[in-house]
Amino acid sequence: MSAEQNGAPAEAVPKPTEAPKDAPTETPKQAATNENEKASKEAKSGADSKADKTEPKSSDAAGDKKLTGAELKAKAKAEKAARRAQQKTSKEVAKGEAAVSSSPGQLGPSASEVKSKGKGKDGASAAAAAGRPALPKAPPSAVVTEQKIQIPECFSHLSMARRIPMTQADKDVHPSVLMLGQQMATFTIDESITRLKATMLAFRKVIESYITPPGNVLARHFTPHVLNIQIEYLTACRPMCFSMGNAIRWLKLQVSKIDMDASEEQAKKELCQAIDIFIAERITVADEYITEQGAKHIKDGDVVLTYSRNTLVEKAILYAHSTGTKFSVLIVDDPYEQFGQQLAKTLTDEGIKVTYSGDFGGLRNHMRRATKVFFAAEAMFSNGAMYARAGTCDVAMTAHELGKKVIALCETINITERVATDSLTYNEIDPERSSAAAFRLMFDATSDKYISLLVTELGSVQARSAPDLLRKLEEFN
Amino acid sequence: MANVQDGAVTRDLPLRGSNNVDAESFDIVATYHRLLKEDPDLTMPMAAIEALIEFLGHSQVKTVYETIDLVKTQSEKLQAAVRNPIALSHGTDLFSQYLIMSLKQPAASSGSGTGAASSKHAPPLDNPHESFEVVRQHLLRNSRLFATRAKNARERIAVHGRKHLHDNTTILTMGGSRVVGNLLGRAAAKHDYGWYTDPPRRFRVLYAVDPALEAESNSVVESLRAQGIQVATIPFTALAYAMAKVDKVIVGAEAVTANGGIISSMGTYSLAVLAKASRKPLYVAAEQHKFGKTFPVDEFDFSFDQGVINFYSNNNKDTKGKEESMPDPIDFTPPELIEAFFADHKVLTPDEVAKEVIDMLM
Repeated sequence: MSAEQNGAPAEAVPKPTEAPKDAPTETPKQAATNENEKASKEAKSGADSKADKTEPKSSDAAGDKKLTGAELKAKAKAEKAARRAQQKTSKEVAKGEAAVSSSPGQLGPSASEVKSKGKGKDGASAAAAAGRPALPKAPPSAVVTEQKIQIPECFSHLSMARRIPMTQADKDVHPSVLMLGQQMATFTIDESITRLKATMLAFRKVIESYITPPGNVLARHFTPHVLNIQIEYLTACRPMCFSMGNAIRWLKLQVSKIDMDASEEQAKKELCQAIDIFIAERITVADEYITEQGAKHIKDGDVVLTYSRNTLVEKAILYAHSTGTKFSVLIVDDPYEQFGQQLAKTLTDEGIKVTYSGDFGGLRNHMRRATKVFFAAEAMFSNGAMYARAGTCDVAMTAHELGKKVIALCETINITERVATDSLTYNEIDPERSSAAAFRLMFDATSDKYISLLVTELGSVQARSAPDLLRKLEEFN
Repeated sequence: MANVQDGAVTRDLPLRGSNNVDAESFDIVATYHRLLKEDPDLTMPMAAIEALIEFLGHSQVKTVYETIDLVKTQSEKLQAAVRNPIALSHGTDLFSQYLIMSLKQPAASSGSGTGAASSKHAPPLDNPHESFEVVRQHLLRNSRLFATRAKNARERIAVHGRKHLHDNTTILTMGGSRVVGNLLGRAAAKHDYGWYTDPPRRFRVLYAVDPALEAESNSVVESLRAQGIQVATIPFTALAYAMAKVDKVIVGAEAVTANGGIISSMGTYSLAVLAKASRKPLYVAAEQHKFGKTFPVDEFDFSFDQGVINFYSNNNKDTKGKEESMPDPIDFTPPELIEAFFADHKVLTPDEVAKEVIDMLM
């Protein structure tokens, strides 16, 4: 990525006074390092997976040989019980499979891991060398009991993504899930819906390679002995997003519905088909429809303001452009993760006029120029609150104050039956920016009164109609 | 023009060859306009539904999906032919939803309350094709039923609405809505519930007359005065001035949006804003079949341009009249300004409307 490319979006910024000076100069560097880092991470995880496939298996096997199957099971049960006890404080989490998601004790990363994530290439590889052997060898749940970074007690319920060396993963974790876990932990796969899709595809592979042990039936054996292990690992890598929770609940239901007398081949085929349909209906087609509907709200002469980058918003803007609508885009970027630059680049490449602001400086001023605000939700809560990238709420409130309409795009799979009135009940700590002194939360919740319209594949509704959509979805099933 | 276009679309549909002759020769747009003209009391969504039923009578389709597909094509054709298709599309949406509900899941149609259409629906059958024929025959035999029901809906609204009109109050209205006219007229007479006779309400009506709708307004005013109601007419410009004398505001609507707002004749939004500013409750009298999936976020979020705002100066006159303004301009009143809806099935808040739209149409 050259500086020139990064400069391109800034070309449309006509006001040198208010645009942050460092946006075009310093941030490209940062973005470039980010990119490098990411590339190296990917390369590394790729290499890791290759290496791990040969080496750790033997050691794992050696470690496990000491325990018989029954003992292992008992051990796992004990661990689970311990964890459950730990979780009892937060009751709703204990329900359903999401239970696995956020037990505070296990999810804090060790210091070396966090450092490695923060500091580019060298740090990452150094930590890869140093960090791994330093950690004790055991299944992931037991690994990181000691936490070097102390998150204040009142935030201890928040969890954080962390990289689990593949060697420490449960031996039954499927290779594709292993890979996915690494990608999630490094935020290579980041958005809720992309994570969901990748997860479903990985689970499809898990199902394909599953062989029912003699004396068991798929419907009874698969979920507790195979699927849950995968889920546990993924959750340990990065807390599940709400859509994954919804989808996994759906998948478990499908598995339990399998006819006991059906042959294994038949059962696997049915499950894979169900997953394919699920992906097509709830993700692919949904995205297309939302893109179209969202684009319909962009009219000639509009100035669309959006915050950072989201695939769905990007698609909607591009779609509106492709239908010949004349409008411009104002990107306000998340100062911590400048994905907005990517968006600016994509849009300028298509010939859309873009104004870019690297942070919240002059937000009100930008908002005055905007006519509509587009967001994509990471999740929607049942009270109509929108869970999205940290900072979304600030932008939405500014828009509301200035009477601009806020349009949220969201697939119905992201709607959760939980309720959040603040941004602290559910959140995630940014692993790259967490120290003893300060840490950054990755999401916030935007109250429904700041959202004018929620576009889903079922139709366009008010944000507070989210629970009605959930009910509607239940009727379909 | 639209006909030519859509004819092509119809021809492109697969597997329709032989049946299409009827479908193509049938001019749904003309039928729609004829129905509206024949019966001045017919609302746009209802006319659309009746036109679609008439179309079903002409087509010889045998399968469920074919029908749904054809109804969809015809609906699109109809919507393309008028400049403001909102109210009409609410009718066609309701009809296709009704078809889908009663054809695909015969058992579900009775329970889920597809609004005006479903409650009188034929008994559910297991075989979709069998049920399809039943539904089709039922529709054809009773095509006028929709219109009658729509008129009954107006009476039911009047019954619901009268409970909210009190003695010695002043009601402000505008726009020549037939539903509102009927509501006020009925409230001024006694109503026999069967077990109890409700005495007439004594109220006064303040009628804001929009010059664009003068003819309709005057006919409503005349009929109200004929029914013994004291009516004062004020020009639209006097709305804010007169608001202090008003207790309640009642308006009609062309269509009700998915968030519980209304699309109504131009000026309703101004009235609603003024009413809100003076803290007077605004009620909307609208039939349930006007509810629809349209969800505008602001006044300009429609598929068509009304051409109401035209900037030009004497220096460059070529820009003048670039887009001719629409004969019946509309505006969108957001749900925050609406106190409640008098619908034919019950009185409900904008939030309940939103919920019903989701249940009914999504």
